[in-house]
Amino acid sequence: MSHQVAVTIVAEVRPGEAERLDRLLRSMGDGLANGSVVDLATLPDLHFARFVLLEETRDLRDRPIPALLLYMSDVDVSRDRHLADLVDAGSDGLDQLYGHCEGYPESRTRETRLAYLRAHVVKEQARYFNTTGRNVRRVRQEAELRDGIEKLLDGRPDSTDRDPQSVRKAVQELVARDESLRWARGPAPGPDFGFRVKETLHFVAGVLLALLLSPLLLLIAPVFLLLLWLHERSDRAPHVPAPLERVEELAELEDLAPQNPFTAVGFLKPGIFRRLTIRTIFVALDFAARHLFNHGNLAGVKTIHSARWVALNEWRRVIFASNYDGSRESYMDDFVDKIAWGLNVSFGSGYGFPNTRWLFFDGAKDEQAFKDFLRRHLVATRVWHSAYACLTNANIENNARIRAGLQGEAEPDDARRWVQAL
Amino acid sequence: MSAAPAPELHDIQGLVARGYGDLATARFVLLGIDDSAAARSWLGALGPKLTASDARPQERAVNVALTSSGLAKLGVPSDVLELFALEFAGGMTTPHRRRMLGDVGPDAPERWDWGGPARPIDALLLLYANDEPTLAALHAEQTSALPGGVRAIRTLGTSDLQGYEPFGFRDGISQPIVEGLSKKGPPAQTVRFGEFVLGYPNEHGRYTDDLLLERSPELGRNGTYLVFRQLRQDVGGFWRFLDEAARGPDGSADADRRTRLAAGLVGRWPSGAPLVLAPEADDPALGTANDFAYHRDDPGGTRCPLGAHIRRANPRDTLDPRPGTEDSLRINRRHRILRRGREYGTPLTVEDALDSEGAEGAGDERGLHFMCLNASIARQFELVHFTWLNSPKFVGLYDDSDPIVGPSQPFGGTFTIQSEALRQRLTDVPRFVSVRGGAYFFMPGIRATEHLAGL
Repeated sequence: MSHQVAVTIVAEVRPGEAERLDRLLRSMGDGLANGSVVDLATLPDLHFARFVLLEETRDLRDRPIPALLLYMSDVDVSRDRHLADLVDAGSDGLDQLYGHCEGYPESRTRETRLAYLRAHVVKEQARYFNTTGRNVRRVRQEAELRDGIEKLLDGRPDSTDRDPQSVRKAVQELVARDESLRWARGPAPGPDFGFRVKETLHFVAGVLLALLLSPLLLLIAPVFLLLLWLHERSDRAPHVPAPLERVEELAELEDLAPQNPFTAVGFLKPGIFRRLTIRTIFVALDFAARHLFNHGNLAGVKTIHSARWVALNEWRRVIFASNYDGSRESYMDDFVDKIAWGLNVSFGSGYGFPNTRWLFFDGAKDEQAFKDFLRRHLVATRVWHSAYACLTNANIENNARIRAGLQGEAEPDDARRWVQAL
Repeated sequence: MSAAPAPELHDIQGLVARGYGDLATARFVLLGIDDSAAARSWLGALGPKLTASDARPQERAVNVALTSSGLAKLGVPSDVLELFALEFAGGMTTPHRRRMLGDVGPDAPERWDWGGPARPIDALLLLYANDEPTLAALHAEQTSALPGGVRAIRTLGTSDLQGYEPFGFRDGISQPIVEGLSKKGPPAQTVRFGEFVLGYPNEHGRYTDDLLLERSPELGRNGTYLVFRQLRQDVGGFWRFLDEAARGPDGSADADRRTRLAAGLVGRWPSGAPLVLAPEADDPALGTANDFAYHRDDPGGTRCPLGAHIRRANPRDTLDPRPGTEDSLRINRRHRILRRGREYGTPLTVEDALDSEGAEGAGDERGLHFMCLNASIARQFELVHFTWLNSPKFVGLYDDSDPIVGPSQPFGGTFTIQSEALRQRLTDVPRFVSVRGGAYFFMPGIRATEHLAGL
């Protein structure tokens, strides 16, 4: 595939089995996946993956919700191909994990396991990937290229005095000589033609549909705004502090590498109005992430590698999962400082979210209430794998620039800029 | 934003308003509390003697601060303690915070002189005086006032290095301009009072620790958090490493190049002149210059390396999403700290530092008692320390953590010096600073000490 695909598998844990499953997940790495049970690092074409256990709970109307085991990944292959890879790489491990779940087949063959996984795949409501079409192989290759170039130049200290053109030439010679760098002799492949056509059509169709529906939207806007006003008046949420012990426990899983996972789950505010609103928002959000925010920048935030929103338990709950650079505190600051409006729109239907005004305003601007809201909804990401946990988006982007600038002849200014990227 | 209420300077401990620059000598007494009642009566007697922010002491000053264990031992109930910031309640040495602050391996809290699991601290007494005899008298007076149930665990001395830190660079030049205090500056560089003291609007237009202020205002109001870390500086190691790195191809020493490299690591020349304004050579006339920007004046780091210490500690107009704009400065204002540290140990000249290891003297230690004040340790001190100083990924770098205070393991041992052509880089840069102790304190308002004494 020339673009990334998200896969989400949701399985219900059998009553009484959650504790044992939790112990199993803890043995798999407690933070960074250690390769036991299912060795995610051996899966080809995998960017990120995590196994997360959602404990048994009760919904807002006190109805019981069973524990859930979630698997979430971002891959460069089709969903079916990824599931097959997963089964082939770790059938024993999958049996250990999903053996705790409802409906896992007694007779375990490649086919029955695959059928089980397929049957438990759910569709994401919205998803974001940093740069469409930049696959794992390319990310890794370009990182190796940059390391190789830096080492070459460190070995020639006189390079610092030479003019950029000659430094660039020396690097080009290295790449020309080294067979393992053969791939770097041409520009990076992007999304293929078929995919781009499909995306363009999807974008055009979406815009047309929005235009077509706009008279209707204008018509219902006053009713919507009135209902929104009434709901925002009645759904007042106080600032509830996050319990220290829980926060400290979850923090132990963080900052093990420059990249971090974030997983949070929460109930949606009850009622048909909120339900319809959030469903519409997710459609718009997914559309915007797919067509507008598909190159390194989610409305001003550049540190997010991937993100997804998935509805659970018949839309009573939503889980949010992302991969980002830096600490959780700086991630939350980015939310407050740069895209509070976006958080208000996408999380504001969450039960207990700080009070919003007209959907877009206030809310996350109440920094402490918002951070505590997130802390209270965090889920332990016990098993997390990133194919490049030590590369930030800024690194990946710069590596791509180095590779792109390596091709052919360059004007003096371009050569200087290229050398400065090193 | 509405006009800020005037700060109640008479109720705020003096270290907020000033670092007591007029009082050249200081001692810090680390205390342990064994008896709650005795500690309360001690604090009750101390309260009226504390120096407030509206005073301009010329002879002596006394301030006090408490850790979360100290507050608990004084009798603050756990449901009130929970309203303090999480990082204060959890303390500096949790597993995650060790990772963030780089307190691992040889810097692990188990090996600290104080503040680690073996030597927890409950309270801190800060004593300042205009000369040594006055300080000695103040110290004697204060220690004799300690009742049986309050122990002095350790007393930390300081040295007056005349505005320079032990590596030999002028320090303490760039401080935030705080709204409501005497020093004035342009609005873009003026930080709201609530960023440093609880009970006033912060840079988000909110009240930091709002729940504490709502439910226990008598305890929270006019308080601030004090971060204290004793940082030992390996002055010999610092200069020897740079001397080696600066040598010519024939192995000859090059003092100019050595100074230039050191200035690159710091971001200022020894005189204090910033590289952004004085890229070629030191210029003592610019020794306290602070009116410059990074994105505007030096976006590529060709004057001052992108990873230089001062560029990280206060990135000014560098921050995303729109570097060089008012937005960038606004975000930067949410991460400022008021530095209040003091140096300790005997100074060492560069020549002595290079001479041999013996010249440093056995057990002769020097460094910085780093202290800073902020309303949110997590959003201010910890963010600066982890996301800017310690992160090997700051502003798009790969493996460069802060060359002065950042860790070199497992990441961060590279230092890149950008130029108009190919960068120069230093690899395997060791850590020149080691942590000898540390804790998070709460420095209560003066009336709040009475409240604590009456618990």
